[in-house]
Order: sequence, then C-alpha cells, then structure tokens
Amino acid sequence: MEKIIQHLQGAFDVKAVKKQRNDLYFVTVGKDQAIPAVTYLRDAEGFSHLVMITVADWMEKGVFELNYIVHNYQLHADISICTNIDREEATMHSAHHLWEQAWTYQRELKEMYGIEFPGSPRVDESFNLEGWDNIPPMRREFDTLKYANETFFPRPGRVSHDPATYMKQKLYPNE
Amino acid sequence: MSMKIKDIITPFSAWSNIVKKPVTVKDPFTERPGADRYRGFHKNDVEACIGCGSCEAVCENQAIDLVPVEGIDTKKGDSGLRPLVDYGRCCWCALCVDICTTGSLTMSNEYTWVSDDPDDFRFIPGVDKKPWDNNEKGWTNPGYSLYNPERVNMEEIEPDERITNFIEIVKGYSKEQAEKEADRCVSCGICVASCPAHMDIPGYIKAIRDGNLEKGLQLLYDTNPLPEICGRVCTHRCEEVCSVGVKGDALAIRWLKRYIADNVPFEDYKRILGLDSLPEAKKHIAIIGAGPSGISAAYYLRTMGYRVTIFEAKEHPGGATMYGIPKYRLPMEMLEQEIGLLEEMGVQFRFNMMIGREVKFDELYAAYDAVFMGIGFEKPYLIAIEGEEGPGSMQAIDFLREVNEGKKPEIGNHVAVIGGGNVAMDAARVSRRLGAKVTVLYRRRIVDMPSDPEEIEGCEQEGIHIEPQTIPTRIVKDEKGKVTGIEYLKAEMVDDPKGRRPKPVPIEGSETILEVSTVIGAIGQEAYYDFLSAEWLEKLKLERGRVVTNENMQTSIERLFAGGDSVNSTADAISAIADGHRAAKGIDVLLSENE
Amino acid sequence: MSNSNNHKLLIKTDRSSYPQPDESGKLQVDLDSGKYVKVWHGPNHPGVTGNMSLELTLCGDEVVEAKTHVGYLHRGFEKIFERRTWMQCFPTVVRMCVPEPDSNEYNLAASMEELSNVEVPEYAQWMRTLVLEMARISNLLRLLPAHGGTMGLGLGVQWGVYLRDLILDRFEELTGARIYHMYIIPGGVRGKMPDGFKKRLISNLDDIDDFLIRLKRLVIDNAVFKKRSIGTGYINPSWVDKYGIVGPNARAAGYKRDVRKDNPYLIYDQLDFEPYVDNEAASDIFSRTWVRFMDLKYGVEMIRQILDKMPNDGEILGKIPNALNWKIPTGQTYVRSESSRGEYGFFAVADGSEYPRRINLRGPSYTHAIALLEKLLVNANISDVSAIMVSLATCPPEIER
Repeated sequence: MEKIIQHLQGAFDVKAVKKQRNDLYFVTVGKDQAIPAVTYLRDAEGFSHLVMITVADWMEKGVFELNYIVHNYQLHADISICTNIDREEATMHSAHHLWEQAWTYQRELKEMYGIEFPGSPRVDESFNLEGWDNIPPMRREFDTLKYANETFFPRPGRVSHDPATYMKQKLYPNE
Repeated sequence: MSMKIKDIITPFSAWSNIVKKPVTVKDPFTERPGADRYRGFHKNDVEACIGCGSCEAVCENQAIDLVPVEGIDTKKGDSGLRPLVDYGRCCWCALCVDICTTGSLTMSNEYTWVSDDPDDFRFIPGVDKKPWDNNEKGWTNPGYSLYNPERVNMEEIEPDERITNFIEIVKGYSKEQAEKEADRCVSCGICVASCPAHMDIPGYIKAIRDGNLEKGLQLLYDTNPLPEICGRVCTHRCEEVCSVGVKGDALAIRWLKRYIADNVPFEDYKRILGLDSLPEAKKHIAIIGAGPSGISAAYYLRTMGYRVTIFEAKEHPGGATMYGIPKYRLPMEMLEQEIGLLEEMGVQFRFNMMIGREVKFDELYAAYDAVFMGIGFEKPYLIAIEGEEGPGSMQAIDFLREVNEGKKPEIGNHVAVIGGGNVAMDAARVSRRLGAKVTVLYRRRIVDMPSDPEEIEGCEQEGIHIEPQTIPTRIVKDEKGKVTGIEYLKAEMVDDPKGRRPKPVPIEGSETILEVSTVIGAIGQEAYYDFLSAEWLEKLKLERGRVVTNENMQTSIERLFAGGDSVNSTADAISAIADGHRAAKGIDVLLSENE
Repeated sequence: MSNSNNHKLLIKTDRSSYPQPDESGKLQVDLDSGKYVKVWHGPNHPGVTGNMSLELTLCGDEVVEAKTHVGYLHRGFEKIFERRTWMQCFPTVVRMCVPEPDSNEYNLAASMEELSNVEVPEYAQWMRTLVLEMARISNLLRLLPAHGGTMGLGLGVQWGVYLRDLILDRFEELTGARIYHMYIIPGGVRGKMPDGFKKRLISNLDDIDDFLIRLKRLVIDNAVFKKRSIGTGYINPSWVDKYGIVGPNARAAGYKRDVRKDNPYLIYDQLDFEPYVDNEAASDIFSRTWVRFMDLKYGVEMIRQILDKMPNDGEILGKIPNALNWKIPTGQTYVRSESSRGEYGFFAVADGSEYPRRINLRGPSYTHAIALLEKLLVNANISDVSAIMVSLATCPPEIER
C-alpha cells in the first residue's frame, strides 16, 4: 500500500494522505486530477472495484468533499480519492466511462446536492425525488425541521417541559 | 446441468406434507406471549422516577414528552414531571430504558393491545393504568450503563503526609479527568433547583465537555462571583440530588466548577466577564462585612453600575471563608485573587472599620443610598459547663481564626473537640496538623452528624477519634487551673414520641474522664447585633437570632438589606452568595422605583 | 459486448422488426407505431422484491428497454442523521434494510468505534457475529425459496417463511424484537443469551437442514425451475468489476467475493469456512440460486461453529462515552461487512460534534438493481423479469435510504 501511495504521489499532485487503517487510505488531490487518479488506480494498480462515489458537505468551508472509494481485490485494500469542489458552482468531471454504475451515483449527487456532472447519462432524471421543487435536500442549508413544520401538521396541544425550567417555575419563580 | 426424468418426479415429494401436523398457532393472543425481553409498551415506576428527562433526551423520535402529573409534587431532586409516550412516534428501541437514571422506566412484553381511539396511544406509563403494568416480563436495562456511573477519582494527598502541613489536600482535576467527569452528566438540570444560587450547572459542565472554559467561567459568574471558593468548600447540595447519583456516583459538580475557575488564567477574567468598562452611576451602596454575601452583593451591584464600598471590621476580607476555613481546604491565594478582581472593578474596601466602633450605623444609613449587611455568625454558643472559662478551653472559630492568621495556639498533646458540624471537623483536623491527638465528642450518633460526610471520612483517615453519644459535663482542671481532662456522660438514643430525630439521654453513672490538654467548643454560633443602637434594633425584625427579610433580602428597615449566615438557615458560603445576588437585585429594584 | 444475455432467445428470434439504435446509440422506440407497449412492473410490493418500479418497453413479450425507478421508499435517513446524535442514529439505521437490519447496526457501530477508538469486548464480538449470521440465514430463508416463487412455486416460500419465523423467534428472545433487532449497539451488544437459547437455536438449525433437503427436491431439482432458470439472466463474468457486482451474484460468476474472507471483521478470522463459488461461472438464475442455497447451508454450519467456539460469558459493552454526549473527533472512514446480498458498507464522516456529518450507505442493490438490472432485462422475456430481479436479491430501501 505504501508503495502505491508513493506512486500516486509521484504521478499526481497529492495534497494530503491520511491513513485510516492499514487497508484504507484517504488521498486528497485537486479537482482536475481526481478522475485521472482514479483511472490510474483502476488500470495500473488493480483497484478494479468502485465501492462508491460519495460526498460530504462542508458548508462552513464552502466545499463539497467528493470521495471515490476504490477497492483492490488482490490486496483487499481501499483507497479513497478525495477532492474538494466549490459548493456554489458545484461541477465535477464525470466518471461514467470508468464503471457502468458510476452514473447512478452521479445522478443521485446531482439530485441531492446539486453537483453537475456534464456528460453523465441520465444525470438530470429524478432519482428519488420525483416532483421535488425545493433546493437539493442533502445540502446542509436545507433545514428538514423547518420544512417539516411548514409542510406537515404538528399535533396540536403537544407540550413538553424542561425539568430545570419547570422546577424554577414551581419552586423559585421570582429568582 | 442436464435435465432428468427425476426432476419431474421429485417435486411431488412435497405432497408428503399433507399428513403432517400444521405448524400454525391457533390463537396467538393467548398462546403466543411476547418473549421475556420483548420491547413492548412501557411501564414506569412513578415513585422511583425523578422526572430527569434522560428518556426524552435520548429518544430519537421525540416520542416522549415530560408532563406534570397530579399528585406528584415538584421538590428538590424530583421535577414532578413524568414521561408521556406517544406510540405514534415510538420506535420501540428501548434506549429510554437503557439510559434511565433511576431504572424506573422499563418495557413490558405486551404487544397485542389495541384501541380504536388513536389518543389512547398517548399515555403516561405508570400513571395511566394499563393491563400490563404488573407484567414482570419485558425489556429492562441489560445490565450496563450508557453513561459512566463511576466518578473520576480525585487525587488527594495521603493522610500520613497531609497531617504534617496545611497544603491543600485535593489536587484538582486535569483536563482529561475533568472532561471525562463532565461526560458523565446527563444534563437533566434537576440539580439547579437545589443549588441556593441556582447556578447553571448543566451549562458549565457542557462548557467543560466542549473545551470552552471561557463560556464556562461566564456561566459561573452569572450566579456566583466566588467560584474558586465554592469549587473547593461548597456544601454541594446539587450533588445530593444528581440523577446520575441515583444508581451510581453523583457528578463531582464542585470539582468541575473548581476546574473551570482554576484553569482560566486570572488575568483574562476581566475580558471574559466583560468587566473592562462598567457604567458608573451616582448611587452609592455600603456593605457591612466582606464575607461571601457582601462580596457577592458588591460584585453584582458593581456590574449594575452602582458604586460600592465594603466596610470590614477585620484586617482582611473573606469573612468566615477567610477566618474559618482551614488552608488545607481553601488556600489563601484563592480569596486574594477574587478580592483582587473586585478591587479592579472599582469596589472600595475599608478594613478595620467596625460599624458601631469606627463608624456609627446612623451615619452609614444616612450617607449611602442603601446598606447591605452580611455580618455572619461571629458569636459562639458556649457549652455552658463548669470550667469553660480560662486558658485551655477555647472556641473553635477563635481557634481557627488564630491559626489562619498565622498564629500557633498552645493546645498541648491531646485535644477534645465538642460538636459534630463542619466547624468541629475543621477544628479537629487543624489540631491534628498542629501535632495533637484529637478526640471529637458528639451528642448523637455519627449518622446524625450535620457535617459533610467527606469531612468525617477525612477525620477518620487522619487518625481522629470520634466518640459519639457523649455529653460533656465539666472540664477538669488541676490546682493551677490547667486543663487536665473532660468529664462526660455516655448517652443512649431515645426515640422522640413526636417523630422528631431521636434524643440523646444521659446514662446515669456513666461518668468518664478523658485526659486532655485542651477543650475546643464547636456547637454553633450566632450573630452579634451590638453595633446597632437600641433604637435601630427595635426596628429590625429578628427571629431566633436571625434577621427577617423578604424575598428581595430587604429587612424591616427600608434601605437595609441583609444576607448570609445571619439570615438564612443553611449558613453556608453558597447560600450567602445567593443572598448577596438577590439583595443586589432587590436594591436595584428599590432604588429604581424611588427614582 | 453483446447486448444480449439470453442466448437461447437470440437464436430463435428474428430481430429485424425490433427497434434499432440511432447514431447516438439510443433505441428508436416510437410508441405511436403500435409495435411497442410500456409496462410498469411495480411499484407494488411483490413479495420479496420490494416496492420499486421497472419501466419496461416491450416489443411483443420481449423487453427492449428497462429503467429502474426508485423513490417509493425514500425516507431521507441520511438527511435525518444530520439532526440525530450518533447514538440516536442507532435505532434509525436498521430501517435502511428491513429484512436484514443487523448489517446496518454493525456498520454504524463499527464506524463509530473505529472513529472514537472504542474497544468491543470479545464476548460481544462473538454475539455480533452470531447475530449477523442469524440475520443472513433468516434473510436467505426468505430469499432462496423466492427464486422459485417468482416462477409460481409459492410453496417453497411458505416453508421458508415458517422457518424464518422460527429464527425471528430466536431474535425476539435474544434482542427483544423480531424485525428491527437494535441489538448491535455502538460499543457492544445489548444482552447475553437467554437460558436455553442455544438449544432452541440448534433445533431450528436442524429444521433448516431438513428444509434444505425438501427445498432441493421441490425447487432446485424441479424440471420447470431448471428449464426456466438455466441460461436465463446471464451475467457475463467480465461485468463483475465493470458493474461493481459483489457477494453471491459475483460468486455465481466465478469470483470469490466475500468480505468475511477478504477483509475479516469481528471474529471471522477465527472461524473455519469457505464461501461457495460457482467455479463453472454459469452465472445465470440457476447458478445464483444454487450459490444462495449453499450460502444458507454454510450459514447454518457457521452458526453451529460459532455456538461451539464462542465463550460462555463475558462483558457485553465496552467503555463508551455517555450516550447523550458522544462526540466523535473529526475524521472519516469506510467500513464494510458481508450481508446476504454482498458487500454492505458505511461511509461515515465525523466533524467533532455529537452529530454525524455524513453517513452514506453503500448497498449491493445500488448497482445490482439499477445499472446491472437495466442491462440484464434487455431482451429478456416479460415472464422472466421478476425472476431476474429476485435472482439479484434487490432491496430498494438500501438504494433510496
């Protein structure tokens, strides 16, 4: 594994390497190098299996962190190629040509986070959310509680009490 | 794989089932009860439940509301609230049962109950009677705890070492220890009502967990301007009602408070507390006594923009905390630090100014817009036995003060301390540090002692002997008037017919003489009101030696407020601090109204 | 690569009247021509396949285009986790796969434990393994006979559901619930074995042995089943990596893919087992059925082995922080386990707070039921659609979450 990471560092502008386990590394590269790095791992290092494409929303930093997790069945190890993309103009190169299921992930990321993948098949078709008319809901600025309160009907008359506040009302209301 | 004729015939073997007994259950309602651990409808032992709301906090579906219940009163240690479960939301995960601090909440194995009224599926288990309330089967805590029930051990100096000096015994938590201890808190807030100052205990414990000590310090000072002191010597009533303490050890709330106060650099206090620029009003308040109540009143009055002057009869501030508490419990620097903060805020201190001696009360009352009186209990009760006057017999508060002033009173090699409160324990442990053998004589049983249990434990560790059920009768002296012993009667405990606590009754003929070189009396104190003229005293309403005030700590004299030991019945630092805060607010209300 | 997976059909059918791809490769389907018909397969809940929908374009009785539609079961769990503390996620994750919730519990627990350095007691690890294997067989008892069920052989399903119920009884007495066990709590497990549990479980395992013999006679050795399943739904082994095929579907194609062997977790390295692989790579419905048959057989053996080897008693919960205040330091990980359908993984991101930043599930159906299924259904006969779908063990809740 160490060697593969070194190869990656030699071939790409690797910004950070984090070893999570002996069989799991997170390798951060620039946006334009992510797909080449994943392709390199697939074709030259035997990481033939795409585990998943996923994203974490770091709203406070203004970025989405994309993760392309690939698995090597000989080494039984994973490398996740991570890259940060701008949250506001979220566009990423498509990986649909590398694996047949990649476009499904990209279609979901488009729907849930609003990330564009130009060229990815059926990327604009709705996935889970047929008829959804709000912002992509997995973005952190989408407030589920607010949405639920506005959309549904909370049970009237429901009330709970915080023990400390209630005890103050009962035992020492004037202090 | 090739097809064979067998493949057409073998499936017909299934016909053999036609002669088999069916495996179905005819009447699942009676023949099929839930398993012994089934997670069915809740049960709650409402007597054991304290309404801490941990069930509500852990519930991921917000299925639990805490609601008042008729017949269950809110009192210290019990919010009076009980969980109401909405089964339209409940997912039957039983985390509420697993986290329950009292173990009162469980689940039955009932799962077949139905009703055609949807509202029936919202009820208060244990209060709204249900057919499964007495089912013994169902989910209970599997024998673990989802929070750590054991307190993080506080490092202390070993007893052998500590009786040789006055170094602080308790070392204080490290960051790691404090965060680990703070993690145990379930943030229920039941403790807040029991704290005389109603400090935001869950708030500052959370601040420790978050590593945000500045926020923690702000929360401390919101209700208590002497956290270094309370973090050490507070009587911690909060810990007595801690919900985590029901099944395990109570949170070390006092040590956590001390951790915050000790670990924020003192030079940052002013910035953190926003004391850099305080408003300056024209009104001027006089405070009599620089004890905890006076200091507390001064702090809050100053933050509200009043000018404050504190008159103190002694040479140093601090009152009972300064003169009464031994240094191994409260090092002198702590006090000096907190007083320093007040001085920086612009509070004026005038030491060696005794009202009635240097200044007349009349002048004070006339010159200032309001007066706060936090005079404490200075006058000891005498044991009232033969031989109490003269050398070799002394009062604990005098003894403790002399030691704290750096003097070394002559006590000889064996001291008898009379009494069972914290002052008695302090006197005994200080005597031990001065090299004497110590015996404590107490009228009742050890369990009846009003002192904090950890003080009694400290005494025992340090080799102090406590002789319970003893009633001193006289101090024995030799012909030169030197104390040689104390005579006492053994007592037996007799139940009081009115249901009050049992009374010690002396056993006739059980006179025993204990050879001692010094007798220290520590059976209680009262206040001096000598500084008030008869005219004022007549106006000032007293009850059993205590000043009577309203809820704003205002006395029967309009612009005179009072607080501390001479007012409240608990007579401890935290109550005094709370009094001072209330008085400050009361003074503000009064003076604002008069404008 | 051939667009066909059903070689028999290809040989017999004259394809000249079928739609042809245009320059961009897209099929020219003119519904108004009357030559084609659209059929929505689902979203009803046809037994085991779950409520997803297949949009099929038919030419005669042959599928010329298939699209998977999901969203009928979307509950937004991964969004909800933003508002749940780490411990509150524990009762929620089970819902991401109804028939086999334990893999979710394990993956959540494992990711939390890894990110916050919590050690799980040995006894709890054995109990976790036991529960995961019980979940595997209980799911296979439902899934395996369903291969016959999709072809009209409902009897096997009834037998299987009865035996599954017996395993659910064991779950009920061990974990307190039949379906959503909520047993593998982060830090450990939520209980020891009740008295007599072992004996009852072993007796159920004996029943399953007997069931397997009967089921083999009823379904596997059944001429109708063989006729319809052999050669149908063929997955070309070269697709395995291309489509991310895992678990039994990959093993039927001749690839030994089993997380328990590849990346041993819990105490799987102390167990003696070898996952069944179809070395002939027949890779059709029959082959996948047989792989699952052997999985169930081996699963039963595995449970016997666990019961034999496991310690009698021990701690059930490791040292965990207060469940209400459990903060996890910033970090991320990917943990996986082998569900009855293949590699099942959680990508978990912590941001130092009490709440997860992101938990993302990777379920095998995500690839099997969309990219792969859409591919496999082209040129299939309409009557084989549900058989192909079930043979991939699709599970919509893990696609939508």
